[in-house]
Amino acid sequence: MIGPEGAIIKVAFATWNNRIAPQFDAAGHVCLVETKMGAIIHAHLEAFRTKLPVKKVCRLVELGVDTLVCGAISRPVQALVEAQGIRVVALVAGELSEVINAWIKGGLDESHFTMPGSRDTEW
Amino acid sequence: MGQDEHSRQRDVILDSVNEGVFTVGPDFHITAFNRAAERITGISRQEAIGKACCDVFHASICERECALRRTFHTGRPVFNATAQIINNQGQRVPIRISTAILKDDRGSVIGGVESFQDLSQVEQLQKELESRYTFEDIVGRSNAMMQLFKMLPQVADSASTVLIEGASGTGKELFARAIHNLSPRRRRRFVAVNCAALPDTLLESELFGHKAGAFTDARRDKTGRFEWADGGTIFLDEIGDISPAMQVRLLRVLQDHMVEPLGTLQPKAVDIRVVAATNKDLAQLVRAGNFREDLYYRIRVIHMLLPPLKDRREDIPLLIDHLVGKFNRLQGKDIAGVSGDVAARLMTYDFPGNVRELENIIEQAFVLCRGGIIELRHLPPELRALGATGLTPSGSMNLNAMEKHFIAESLRICQGNRKKAAKELGIDVATLYRKIKAHAIEVPEADGRGRRR
Repeated sequence: MIGPEGAIIKVAFATWNNRIAPQFDAAGHVCLVETKMGAIIHAHLEAFRTKLPVKKVCRLVELGVDTLVCGAISRPVQALVEAQGIRVVALVAGELSEVINAWIKGGLDESHFTMPGSRDTEW
Repeated sequence: MGQDEHSRQRDVILDSVNEGVFTVGPDFHITAFNRAAERITGISRQEAIGKACCDVFHASICERECALRRTFHTGRPVFNATAQIINNQGQRVPIRISTAILKDDRGSVIGGVESFQDLSQVEQLQKELESRYTFEDIVGRSNAMMQLFKMLPQVADSASTVLIEGASGTGKELFARAIHNLSPRRRRRFVAVNCAALPDTLLESELFGHKAGAFTDARRDKTGRFEWADGGTIFLDEIGDISPAMQVRLLRVLQDHMVEPLGTLQPKAVDIRVVAATNKDLAQLVRAGNFREDLYYRIRVIHMLLPPLKDRREDIPLLIDHLVGKFNRLQGKDIAGVSGDVAARLMTYDFPGNVRELENIIEQAFVLCRGGIIELRHLPPELRALGATGLTPSGSMNLNAMEKHFIAESLRICQGNRKKAAKELGIDVATLYRKIKAHAIEVPEADGRGRRR
């Protein structure tokens, strides 16, 4: 996913066990990836020090995240994240590295990165 | 028996069970998924089979406390663990889980089975009983609501006093509870006080407490609400209705964080967060000299203005969905939603009573609608009429609209004095209150007790 020329895009991938975490509300970590012109310039694992979803949202804001890629996310928490101006790409499943690569190439729409049951839903 | 026949029989048995049931192999990929599991998760069996159970179930315990993993490790079943899943609509569903090991004829482990029960109805009933509403009960995606959501995490995190302004029925207490439940004080009490509901002397005793003998009938010590809320949050509703004397006492609490129960000279320190709310324009009251300016600025450190429902009509479909789900759980019904006509009518209605009025409309429809979807005939008469203006096709006023008009007019003439208005109308005060509520009539504010319906 290439942003405006020269712009650094920060994407947080909710992660667990080297996979996309099944539920953002309960996720313990995000992999923070910074990209520029479609290339990864920095990546690190960030542990949430809280179980409260709202605090996790605050942390994403502090980290300057532009987009959150996650598995399931409850509607209210999604509204809270989006209200902060953070784009949410939800119901993503798969190995973390594969998902990140697909994201960079703009190929996250492929069905094998989609959680079951998400085809009919508009979250 | 062939493998297919065996699978078919197993599915028939599992589908006859009312609890959600799924089985996994040793790799945690789903091998069977019954009909109740489809219903609770919103995911079809076809889609679920062969997938990692965490990607289908996405439960709160998947990461750290997976019940199946524990069963695999210990070899012992888990009974009645609780968790929350998120269904395919993004709704959080509370569940109770039990697990067991699956073994073949030779005793080798071939997988595990998990059964789960939907506790949504129980949780909804508990919420109703304990008024335990949270941020999740605030529904909306409109710009106005998104602006409020944007500030909510930071507001909750701070210790500053909050003033919530908004018309009746816009959800001021819901926001106050959300602020508390999202704050570091969430494990302590949330104490709500309606300042307009009590006369001054009672309110004083209620807020500050008293010592035995402080006044006639004060037979024993009473802990005040401020002290009761120590460490937590106190919600002062209808703050615009408190007397000048009470304003001074409240100002001292906000300045010094000390309360002085009646009948004692020994002040007590309290650690409370104050969230105040009003349906009045507090700034206007300050300008009119009816509310202390210093108290106003003490209260209005953070200001939240809740929009009326007519200013966020785009949220009405979401609210209808939310309320239909809520009453289905509360009343054990299975109503699918509202008809297109009903949705269209509700989208154009002005809702003087805001979300509370919409909730009352849906609740009434649930009483009248036995199943299927809510039709126009299940709505209150004033909403069934074309244009919902109360005018019949001939242009004359129907009986219901006429009654509303008479009551509103009497209240206007009596400057909001309900007792006088009831006398004028020849009905008792209780009946008048009921009709004010039923017709969602805005009572003029001139009687100084606030605008109510």
